[in-house]
Amino acid sequence: MISSILLLGGIGFLAALILGISAVTFAVKMDPREKAVLDQLPGANCGACGFAGCAAFAHEITVNPEAEMACPAVNEEALQAMSEILGRSLGGSAPLIACIRCKGSPAETTNRYGYVGPRDCRAAQIVAGGSKGCQYGCLGLGTCEEVCPFGAIIMGEDGLPHVIESLCTGCGKCVSACPRGIIQLIPRTGNYIVGCISRDTAKEMKPLCKVGCIKCGICADVCPFDAITVSKTTSAVIDQDKCRRCGLCVSACPTGVISALRVPQKARIIAEKCKGCSICEQVCPAEAISGKVKEPYFVNEGKCIGCGLCIEKCPSDAIERIIS
Amino acid sequence: MKTFKGGIHPPEEKQLVKDNPIVDFPLSSRYHVLVQQHLGAPAKPVVKAGDEVRKGQVLSEPLGFVSVPVHAPTSGRVKEIGRIVHPVTGLLAPCVVIDADGRDEWAEGLPMERDPFAMSRDELLDAIKTAGVVGMGGATFPTHVKLSPPKDKTIDTFIVNGAECEPYLSSDHRLMLEQPERVLKGAGVVMKILGLDRATIAIEANKPDAIKLMREKAPAEIQVEALKVKYPQGAEKQLINALTGREVPSGGLPMDVGAVVQNAGTCAAVWDACARGIPLIERITSVTGRGIVQPKNIRVRVGTLLREVIEFSGGLNGAAKIIFGGPMMGIAQFTQDIAIMKGTSGVLVLREEDTNITDYSACISCGRCVEACPMGLIPSTLSKLGEKGMWQKAKENNLLDCVECGSCTYVSPANRPIVHFVKHLKALSRAASAKK
Repeated sequence: MISSILLLGGIGFLAALILGISAVTFAVKMDPREKAVLDQLPGANCGACGFAGCAAFAHEITVNPEAEMACPAVNEEALQAMSEILGRSLGGSAPLIACIRCKGSPAETTNRYGYVGPRDCRAAQIVAGGSKGCQYGCLGLGTCEEVCPFGAIIMGEDGLPHVIESLCTGCGKCVSACPRGIIQLIPRTGNYIVGCISRDTAKEMKPLCKVGCIKCGICADVCPFDAITVSKTTSAVIDQDKCRRCGLCVSACPTGVISALRVPQKARIIAEKCKGCSICEQVCPAEAISGKVKEPYFVNEGKCIGCGLCIEKCPSDAIERIIS
Repeated sequence: MKTFKGGIHPPEEKQLVKDNPIVDFPLSSRYHVLVQQHLGAPAKPVVKAGDEVRKGQVLSEPLGFVSVPVHAPTSGRVKEIGRIVHPVTGLLAPCVVIDADGRDEWAEGLPMERDPFAMSRDELLDAIKTAGVVGMGGATFPTHVKLSPPKDKTIDTFIVNGAECEPYLSSDHRLMLEQPERVLKGAGVVMKILGLDRATIAIEANKPDAIKLMREKAPAEIQVEALKVKYPQGAEKQLINALTGREVPSGGLPMDVGAVVQNAGTCAAVWDACARGIPLIERITSVTGRGIVQPKNIRVRVGTLLREVIEFSGGLNGAAKIIFGGPMMGIAQFTQDIAIMKGTSGVLVLREEDTNITDYSACISCGRCVEACPMGLIPSTLSKLGEKGMWQKAKENNLLDCVECGSCTYVSPANRPIVHFVKHLKALSRAASAKK
């Protein structure tokens, strides 16, 4: 009895001794900040930063003071926290969001042939360039949904992928997985996208898709900010830096191919703050603001396009954004 | 009888067309000659809309060594440099549209009479490249490249591939029966280029008439070998293995074991190119399958529309699938507005009951694909990795050695599209290395 206790105890003590010594001798020296930085990263190991995973990236930005912030998936808060941990400002790029630039659900489009085979868009693309009539449109087999490390893309009942805004981190995995190149990253501040990248002319597109961009150019004409470019062989493209989210293009588009990521917004003048300077009336491109000088102005919601020019120009911060 | 390990025995179905003599396809009014009809570097059109062209005139200029020109199939006027669906990629590709003038006049100096055996090796190779000769079994690899092995490779074996192991097809069979001299003389020219004094013509045993005729006509230095009827007996690496017992190493080419294989049709085209200066503007194609009213072997010019070929063969009859090539490795087409290419060995029209358009299910690990694989791979593993897109792991499992013969897909009781998975993985691997 005693001998066995002693024996087992002895073995235990010996093992503890070996473990203790090796823990000291073979210890991997790790910067404690590295762990703290890693805690702030999303932990999905999506690889969008170009490193093998979140841990590898955390190591890089901790040890290399020159390393730039390459993780597109961190939010503002985490970025702030990481800057504090590392004691240097990590200027992150503007946060991005993925958007799907095809609205051609199976109900709206035609097929060249029936596809039977692996349920992967990239595999379907090998077979004569995909079964969809339109060679630019979504194949709808959900490879983007499959590769998204954040579960931010779901295939809708319409057979098209949809991005969940709150989950998307803009890592770009879906962008590289899509064989048709219809997923694009736009700044999170952007709102309107053209759901078509087809280079077909209106005539070529007609038998293939009912909801594609027919390159009529109406959107470019109505845009008060010159934010839309369109040509005979390229679908309309919205310059997200110039776009002021007025939504005029959405209502003007004859095929409804332009849509909003979010709901349209309007301006509202806070009467108590307004000094009646009339600047807002002068800058408004939609003639939606009226009033008398030195009295509170007011916005005609029906005319307001929500561009926000007045908000920027108001010297007394008297205009706010509201959701209509 | 000589053969290789693995392989399958699909129904041969050659009886539909094998006894039909070759008929000339009548002159069409318009031809769509694809600029890219070969594997390798692209070619650039050298004619423009409105140009008058004569039969055999060069239409495109090859950009690079692994590239060949295409030629006008008849005389006429170039309507435009248009775009037509490419039978291999399924995408729109540039083509030269020629409106025939009906006179069918040869270009200056064609056809010429010369003795290829008096020409030097370089002259012969140049004649083959200028004539736009490519592998006519379907792979369309430029022939002059295959016949110019690097200096450090010694070639001691030349095989003329007359196996025609794809079910349904009989174009090489008919060629060997009706024009054995072209094949044999072309083989002689290839032997001269390679500096060899012997060659083997390999024919599957289901063509006894061709074997007999070839044995009668062949000179002493060309041996005729009958092979066991098994798919893919005509695949280059399997053919070499069956005849010489040599195995092409993983990632290697036939020249690594000292062998060169040329299709019987290619040999005939080599003869035309070297002896008469005639470019590759027509080929023999089997139009067959139960979905076509009158199966035929036709001598058809490159650039003829499939629509016209089908009309000439009596039209469709309950067709469900049209394939360029054979049922095993051919490429299914979704439109009849595509043009016959240099590599179109057959136009196969299948009815619903001849095809298997059912969805696949999970792998049951039965191992039948492993038995069938002529390359000794484990297709079931590749297919499972394909579902996950795991191309790195698949490469460790010798993904790149797969010849895409389709034997595994044919035997899979779960209908698994294994070749499709392999092509998918290969594409992913290519895309990843292109990024680097």
